Amino acid sequence: MEFTREIYWNVGHGALTLVPMYLLAAIAIGLLVRGALQRIPLYKQGLPLNRTDQMGRRIAIMLENVLLQKKVTRVPWPGLLHGLFFWGFGLLVIGTTLIVIQADFTDLLFNVKFLKGTFYKLFSIVLDLAGLVCIVMLGGLLVRRYFFAPEGLETKKDDAIMHGLMFTILITGFIIEGSRMAVTEMGTPLAMWSPVGLIVANALSGLGQAGLLLLHKLTWWFHLLLVMGFFILIPLTKFRHILTTSSNYFFSDLGPKGKLVNLDLENEESETFGATNIKEMTWKDIFDADACTLCKRCQDRCPAFATGKPLSPMKVVNQLGETAFNNPEANLIEVVGKDVLWSCTTCLACQEICPAAIEHVGKIVELRRSMVLMEGEFPGEEVMTAMEATEVNGNPLGIGYAERGDWAEGLGIKSLADDAEVDVLFFVGCYGSFDKRNIAVAKSFVKLCQAAGVKVGILGKEEKCCGEPMRKMGNEYLYQSLAVENIEQIKAYGVKKIVTTCPHCYNTLAKDYRDLGLETPVEIYTVFLEQLIADGKLKIDATDLSCTYHDSCYLGRHNDIYEAGRNLIAAAGGKLVEMDKNRAEAFCCSAGGGRILAEEKIGERINIVRVKMAAETGASTLVSNCPFCLTMFEDGVKGAGVEESLRPKDIAEILAERIH
Amino acid sequence: MKILVCIKQVPDMESKFKVDAGGTWYAKTDLAWRMNEYDEYAVEQAVQLKEQAKDADLTVLCIGSDQVKETMKKALAMGCDRGAHIADDNASGKEPFEIAGVIAEYAKGKNFDLIFTGMQSQDRGSAQVGVLVAEMLGLPSVSTVVHFAYEGGAVVAKRELEGGIKACVKVQAPVVITCQLGMNTPRYPTLPNIMKAKKKELLSTPVQDLLKVDARQETARMYFPEKKGGGLVLEGDMAEMADKLIKILKEKTAVLA
Repeated sequence: MEFTREIYWNVGHGALTLVPMYLLAAIAIGLLVRGALQRIPLYKQGLPLNRTDQMGRRIAIMLENVLLQKKVTRVPWPGLLHGLFFWGFGLLVIGTTLIVIQADFTDLLFNVKFLKGTFYKLFSIVLDLAGLVCIVMLGGLLVRRYFFAPEGLETKKDDAIMHGLMFTILITGFIIEGSRMAVTEMGTPLAMWSPVGLIVANALSGLGQAGLLLLHKLTWWFHLLLVMGFFILIPLTKFRHILTTSSNYFFSDLGPKGKLVNLDLENEESETFGATNIKEMTWKDIFDADACTLCKRCQDRCPAFATGKPLSPMKVVNQLGETAFNNPEANLIEVVGKDVLWSCTTCLACQEICPAAIEHVGKIVELRRSMVLMEGEFPGEEVMTAMEATEVNGNPLGIGYAERGDWAEGLGIKSLADDAEVDVLFFVGCYGSFDKRNIAVAKSFVKLCQAAGVKVGILGKEEKCCGEPMRKMGNEYLYQSLAVENIEQIKAYGVKKIVTTCPHCYNTLAKDYRDLGLETPVEIYTVFLEQLIADGKLKIDATDLSCTYHDSCYLGRHNDIYEAGRNLIAAAGGKLVEMDKNRAEAFCCSAGGGRILAEEKIGERINIVRVKMAAETGASTLVSNCPFCLTMFEDGVKGAGVEESLRPKDIAEILAERIH
Repeated sequence: MKILVCIKQVPDMESKFKVDAGGTWYAKTDLAWRMNEYDEYAVEQAVQLKEQAKDADLTVLCIGSDQVKETMKKALAMGCDRGAHIADDNASGKEPFEIAGVIAEYAKGKNFDLIFTGMQSQDRGSAQVGVLVAEMLGLPSVSTVVHFAYEGGAVVAKRELEGGIKACVKVQAPVVITCQLGMNTPRYPTLPNIMKAKKKELLSTPVQDLLKVDARQETARMYFPEKKGGGLVLEGDMAEMADKLIKILKEKTAVLA
């Protein structure tokens, strides 16, 4: 027999079928396009932003994430369910397209049929299995949402429409196939190439020929109407994510990762700074809300949300969208809430995991900028005091600037003012310079450099705070003032390479300072030390150490540096027991986002929660790579009551104790 | 309404101080400079009064070298309308009577309704300038004010006394007010105001033009207190240490009277 099927069998080949079919399709697609276009003016309420440069790269990112479902499947449950559903549905769409190509083009115009023989057999079985996979995956998603919904998952009318419509389309598809097979394919070798259809055909066989023909015809038209309905509903429901989420990959921030937009403070014409109104956010900030499918992966990972603060990154993103669509004159600070905005630690867990490539953090900082720069508002008086201390003495701790280099006395290193001929400038940072606990880390680093024969110099009292906590709090003006002065000093000494022991300083000098003219290469100490060991310049004795490792947000998610610290621990002889939440899933220590300057007044203390995670590993040392983390953990072990059993230490200290 | 607020630029108190070569003041090297804390309350209160009165002009005055203009800009950014810089490269060599004389000479004939100053400066701490200015101008003065209100020409103020007691004072403007901690929370200047401040009027007058009085006192010597005893570390069990501590507090201090 011929392995093929008659397209439009029973339904009719003539105008009576084709005209209404194409008419409905044209209307449905027209409404789809119109619905999508209607949303564009709403996005355009926001400020312009160029996200169409480097087209090739953008398209690649989009294809990778849409076709391979990379970000979606990163969280396998329920990510894989969606991925498999997507691939299955994609195959069904391709299948239908092939039928259209043959029926309305190659066969109609050239009498060429390709849906036959081996190709048709493959076509048939692939689509049958695809349809089955879709039904099973959709079933899984439905059961999860309606019977085993994880806490915080919002289910709306949209979801019911989407599940219902998809299911009905898939099921009617199999009814059409089954009823056709029951009449045309029973007992033929072709039937086994549509196994699911065969099962349906067997179930329907009792209807008799007339019944089957009627069922087939009616279901065919019903199926068509449902699919047209689906098209029309795309822009009107969460179905729009098919277009918006895919586009959002195209419109991604191409980096550097997490870098904030530089405010132009030179412009004398500017009257407002930061955003209070949706028109002061960018079109992308509004579009992100349309790309959001409320999957809540961001909320699940937000350290503030997890500890009782009112911040949900998902909610903030969607509130911006709602404001743009329903109430564009509203004051965004009032809509979102001040406590919500101040709670963010900029840990980037939300952005890292978001399968829709939404950018949460920049929106929060932009709103903070308006509170600080336009109102002089901060989360608390202690933050204002820290800002003023930084203005006066170049550090938020309020210690006299002239003492900044005193920690290094007697170590055998000089400030660049005394000797600028150095291999590297060690940018110490405020905590390494002034905080007793972190001075020990700075000293350890110097010791390691000297053991490796590296000549290190510091700026001493000519160094100022890098400005990072101030910038993340929204004080762009103070940040830029500090940055400009630091850059001037660094350039004046002709520094060739900068190394820092603070990930916040590292991130700021390596990324943010580029906007303000710093070109000097910047390295973080863990990578620097790793290289020294690899080159044989630094020899470390391995001695036993039971430990767990905390990936700081600013080395980890912000800079994708996860292995350097682990390699150093291995070199030191460490027996590393990982916490459940490690690497990109690490749980913030709470001090980022400028919150090192602020008091934590709402909910549970984030640092205690993280220390408890570390204690659970049974390790006796909690190794970190950031002065903020070290400070928060020293406080956290006391709060968690584990100070006798868990010691916080920096990786530099551990290595310095093991110099060969 | 015309308002004057007098401020001083002082070193940040966290700086490490050294006595200067002359032995009568602190050396000016390695210091971070800022507005005298008490003057911040004065500026804040003056700006609040200006906002309340709506049609008011607020001048900020400061005596010192060009360096003090930075601090004056902060006052302008907080809301002052114009700056009167009294150029003096040796302001720290003058005693409170001379400083008051310069300010009074500036203010003479300008009919300020209110003059605000800090209660004292963080470096010299004489607490005399505000009250002396009032006397020189023949005006009433209220010092150590922790609460200020203005209603139709009359000032209602609370002064802080010992033991947390407050004195309520009512006085007609014009009057000099010296400001104490607790009066208000000085605002953080907004960026638009910082930018406007760069363009506000800031006129310099040489101090010689305004110094019409003679000094009545001079600083003989400035020195660090001599080290006498060291710290005392109490040891022993908790109860013993508590007893020892109570004994010391009773005998050596006035904490447990």
